[in-house]
Amino acid sequence: MTRLRALDPARHGALRLDKARGAAERRLVPVGRGEIALAAADMPVLLAKDGQTGHFELVALVGLVEPVNLFVSPAGYHATSQPQAAGLTALRLDPEGADGLAVDEADASLGTAGEALFEGGRAKRWRRALEAALADVTAGRALADSYARRGVLRPLSVTLTMADGQEQVLDGLYGVAEAALAELADADVVAMHRADELAPAAVLTASLAQVERLRQLHNARFSRQIAAIGLGIAD
Amino acid sequence: MSNTAEGCDRPVRRVVVVGGGSAGWISACRLAAAARRGGSDVAVTLVESATVPTVGVGEGTWPTMRNTLAKIGISETHFVRGCDAAFKQGARFVGWADGTPGDGYYHPLNPPAGATDVDLAPYWQQTPGGADFAEWVDFQASLCDAGLAPKAITMPEYAGQANYAYHLDAGKFAALLQEHATQALGVEHVVGDIVRAGMADNGDIAGVVLADGRTIEGDLFIDCSGFAALLIGGVYDVPFRSCADVMFADRAIAMQVPYDDPDDPVTCHTVATAQGSGWIWDIGLWTRRGIGHVYSSAHQSDDDAEATLRRYIGPAAEKLSARKLRIEAGHRERFWQNNCVAVGLSAGFVEPLEASALMLIEASMDAIADRLPRTRGAIDTAARQFNAAFTHHWARIIEFLKLHYAITRRTDTAFWRDHADPKTWPDGLAERLALWRDHPPAAVDFDHAREVFGWPSYQYVLNGMNYPTTYARPAASPEAALAQRWLARNERMRADAMQRLPKHRDLLRAVREHGLQAV
Repeated sequence: MTRLRALDPARHGALRLDKARGAAERRLVPVGRGEIALAAADMPVLLAKDGQTGHFELVALVGLVEPVNLFVSPAGYHATSQPQAAGLTALRLDPEGADGLAVDEADASLGTAGEALFEGGRAKRWRRALEAALADVTAGRALADSYARRGVLRPLSVTLTMADGQEQVLDGLYGVAEAALAELADADVVAMHRADELAPAAVLTASLAQVERLRQLHNARFSRQIAAIGLGIAD
Repeated sequence: MSNTAEGCDRPVRRVVVVGGGSAGWISACRLAAAARRGGSDVAVTLVESATVPTVGVGEGTWPTMRNTLAKIGISETHFVRGCDAAFKQGARFVGWADGTPGDGYYHPLNPPAGATDVDLAPYWQQTPGGADFAEWVDFQASLCDAGLAPKAITMPEYAGQANYAYHLDAGKFAALLQEHATQALGVEHVVGDIVRAGMADNGDIAGVVLADGRTIEGDLFIDCSGFAALLIGGVYDVPFRSCADVMFADRAIAMQVPYDDPDDPVTCHTVATAQGSGWIWDIGLWTRRGIGHVYSSAHQSDDDAEATLRRYIGPAAEKLSARKLRIEAGHRERFWQNNCVAVGLSAGFVEPLEASALMLIEASMDAIADRLPRTRGAIDTAARQFNAAFTHHWARIIEFLKLHYAITRRTDTAFWRDHADPKTWPDGLAERLALWRDHPPAAVDFDHAREVFGWPSYQYVLNGMNYPTTYARPAASPEAALAQRWLARNERMRADAMQRLPKHRDLLRAVREHGLQAV
């Protein structure tokens, strides 16, 4: 549940923002195009569809069974990097608010810990950070759109086999299919290379192995253990 | 040309489609797309008159249209945007069983849950209080009642959470197909009035001669010339087999009714409301509703029928003009003669109660385009198979449509009393209805493995109309446990669909604004 309000120095002047607590209750977080390699060092980076538009977005899988971000815990943040947008989930652009911002007062990253929202009565640095994160996420969307147009995306099945034998399938995830890439015409391959789309595709595919890291984090936190994770990409 | 061994071996390379409505352009697209896919050198030419207007009816499809469009290579997004199309999840029949307030049932496009594993009808019959059949065996009726779409914007093109077809603007559909056929599939488009056919020695059509003197030669001719039936009727004089003694409706009046508010809900199913001497269809498109009255002129005057339609529409009808159509219910005795196949209205027509017109065009092209005879010699065998299959299909369509009327308990007008008279029933229907008092309709009741209307459709209509049945009481058995599992699964699917799926208009807006993804 969100509780959005235009940013107001009088109401929010004492608040602090702890980026490490951002996106604490999400299984998927947006990833910017410039963050793919960094995020892939810890988490699977793949694609999911926006619920409103159906367009593909670049996302990191950060949770499995429960709707929690396994990298975020009271003990701290458990990855070498955090996608920018994930640390800023408490903020929105809002022309009515101070420095063009709104805050989600219900977001777990807002409180008494972290960095001050206001410095000298202004929140400009947060506005700049949010705009930069959104611009990079937009660039990630453009990359995903390009993959979709080239027909190289396929549904990705992530099957969790629990220790009790039950299976759970994560729906709505997509990856770049190596088989589809291999079928591209030479000219398309060159075009993708020149547009710097081939290397990210390889990183995305390699990052899928990070589901094992998620399994370890899950099992360290929850009693219902995941015995194995199966990955499959449609032809 | 003679029907010699050389003639038999002559390859089929030129296919000529005569007529440019939905039937003509679907045929041309399917033939050209199949040729491309198969790497053949078959050339497709479509000849259409500049002066004869298309009939432009047929605004409801079957789910088969998704496969047809995918085979043709048209994206679902392009189709929805270009044809003002909406999604259709079945039909609701109002007032057909007894005409009392609240009389209505769904014929959804989803089959009953577990249809390939277990027949739920005997279990439904044991439910206390007489649950609604469609509601009990499947979740799609709930979606229709709630105005929800069969899919979400995140689902790929041509895939849905529930089975679906379309409502579309027939004029825009033909235009979209024409553009695709000529620009993407290489179909040659010839505009001209056909004045006669040039005949070969063996009785085949060698070419069609246009008023300006041009001759369009071909190896195979698809007659999509509508009610004119220029080739199958005009050249071959294949007799027409009327079914007016079974299906009484011979007139239709149609109106296009704009929404009061552009954001009004778009109904996600056809509504077919029984009237004194016929029924009214009501379908929702993106910008308007298509509403029409199908009736029997032997039971109601044209003026009364139009007044009935205007009463149904209400004040919105005051400034609208009505389009009138004559229905000659029936079909050709043969659909494929020599090297000419009739597809669409030239093959036959019957009232659009279950939207079978476009489906029959698609089924015809599945048979023709996907197995195009490679030589003249193969044409005769293909013709025999096609004629047998479509004679059967037509008989079963007429029987299924008649079923909607035959088991009515309405006695308020002569129209309904005449329909309920077994003397007007086609052969076999009385026997089947007697059987279905004690046994639910099942696959073994039908001759063909691929019936156009399968046993689930018969169950939806029979049980929707509360046809009196006394099925054997199911015993506790492994099958009963299987039925319970399917019913439980159906409830889970209902809950999930009701929670996940958007309002129909919201989905249509999202498709128009953002498009659907291919995967």
